[in-house]
Amino acid sequence: MSGAEGLRILVVEDEALIALELQCLLEDLGHVIAGVAASSAEAIELGRATSPDIALVDIHLIDGPTGVEVARILSLDPRTSVVFMTANDKRIPADFAGALGVIAKPYSERAVAGALRYVAAIRAGGQPEPHGSDGFRPASEGVAEDALWSQKPWAGARP
Amino acid sequence: MMGSSNNQVSAGLRPVGNASVDAKMFAMAFDASPTPMVVTDPRLADNPIVWVNDAFLTLTGYARADLQGRNCRLLQGPDSDPRTIDAIRDALRRQAPVEVELCNYRKDGSSFWNAMTISPVRNDSGELVYYYAAQADMTEKHALELALQETNDELERQVHEQTADLRAALEEKTALLHEVDHRVKNNLQVISSLVLLKARRTPQGEARDALQGMAERIGALSMVHRMLYSAGDVTRFNLEEFADDFMSDLTAGIDPARTAVTAEVDPISLPAAIAAPLALMLHELATNAVRHAFPNDREGRVSISARRCETGLRLQIEDDGIGRNAAAPNPAGFGCSLVEMVVKQLRGVITWHEPGSGTRVEIVIPLQSESPRPATSAPREATLGQAG
Repeated sequence: MSGAEGLRILVVEDEALIALELQCLLEDLGHVIAGVAASSAEAIELGRATSPDIALVDIHLIDGPTGVEVARILSLDPRTSVVFMTANDKRIPADFAGALGVIAKPYSERAVAGALRYVAAIRAGGQPEPHGSDGFRPASEGVAEDALWSQKPWAGARP
Repeated sequence: MMGSSNNQVSAGLRPVGNASVDAKMFAMAFDASPTPMVVTDPRLADNPIVWVNDAFLTLTGYARADLQGRNCRLLQGPDSDPRTIDAIRDALRRQAPVEVELCNYRKDGSSFWNAMTISPVRNDSGELVYYYAAQADMTEKHALELALQETNDELERQVHEQTADLRAALEEKTALLHEVDHRVKNNLQVISSLVLLKARRTPQGEARDALQGMAERIGALSMVHRMLYSAGDVTRFNLEEFADDFMSDLTAGIDPARTAVTAEVDPISLPAAIAAPLALMLHELATNAVRHAFPNDREGRVSISARRCETGLRLQIEDDGIGRNAAAPNPAGFGCSLVEMVVKQLRGVITWHEPGSGTRVEIVIPLQSESPRPATSAPREATLGQAG
């Protein structure tokens, strides 16, 4: 697990069961939980207090779809790398709000491990290995293509 | 009556023969014509009317005496288009023929659309002697045009309205689809986390393995849902893309030097409704082979293939392990009956081959035509998907 162990990770997730299981998974992978936040305010506060290595950020939190804003604020701290973790990646803006990528929910252990290796490699200034999974998409690949969404029928002229 | 042959009438038309008889004949013909006609004399002051036929009197409601010596502009009124009047004036100035439609007025003040062809008439020496004009009442045509325009406007308005409605409906549908997609995936995540949490708190052994196995099955279903909604077309499912990811998951925990796993999967587009049961079945068979065919560090290979065949989809999972009968019966038990159930649900046929060593499973699943269609019109497929 070259360099992808012992990272301090902030989990931003409003679903208690998912958050708890994710903690167990991350600890199994050899990482340390810096904190768990369920709302944007908690996430920003914990980010400020702990300056984690990585923040895994869900988009839908207790106070609404505020994860994008959380990612923007957390990634202002150069010590923190942000990765989205969501079942709703259509909400991710084109600039990824400063995040390095997105883990798709429902996630697999392999996707989470792969994403953390990818982020660890970037943090170490190295070349990340090809991830080869639909479960994790780096920001460098851009936002999801969605035939339905990209039509943006509402963007046309409205009578 | 407005043809170009009328545009130039020569006053020197008279052929050799009895000129006065010819002139009389023409006058009679013109007088009796149902086409309203008028002749003016530009050599007199203000180009007055010098001759009209009865049809012209009928059209305009004037008596011959009213018109004699008057300029034709007495037919004009408030709705006569000045641009058309200018066009007539300009043609007269150039002594050129002109064809226009103008709103004119009868003696009683009622208006009518007058289509007129005005032609200069020259004598033998080419001098302008008369203007001749034939008229046609275009009021009905204009009324029709107006009605047609109104109908068109109304149709256009209705189309705009319907388009806006459809656009709103599509917008709503798209938003709803994303909401449902989000909920399905989030719920799968919760279920998966729930089972895994319980597995973590269960002592090592049969119960824990069972929970772990369930989490993996949920994982296989989750993979299908991740792919279904990310591809844009939510009614179709690409087996090859699924297989790529599925193989990564399958081989993640095994030593490639000991167990070689290969897959050959055609890029087959499948109805979304059969994706989940198919993924579950593939997961059972492949995991089973990888986990149980090679006990005690036995080396071997597992090959998976999915090909289109005449009747549908042919899947084959083959290993050169210890064979089904030799394997420990318990863990494979549920997996095998799960596979049999899913094959039955997909109206497929499963054949277990037990060659000298190892196991070969062949499954043929009937597929309907490749042509994409709305999910709602495929009740059979929808039914298949229910229990998946």
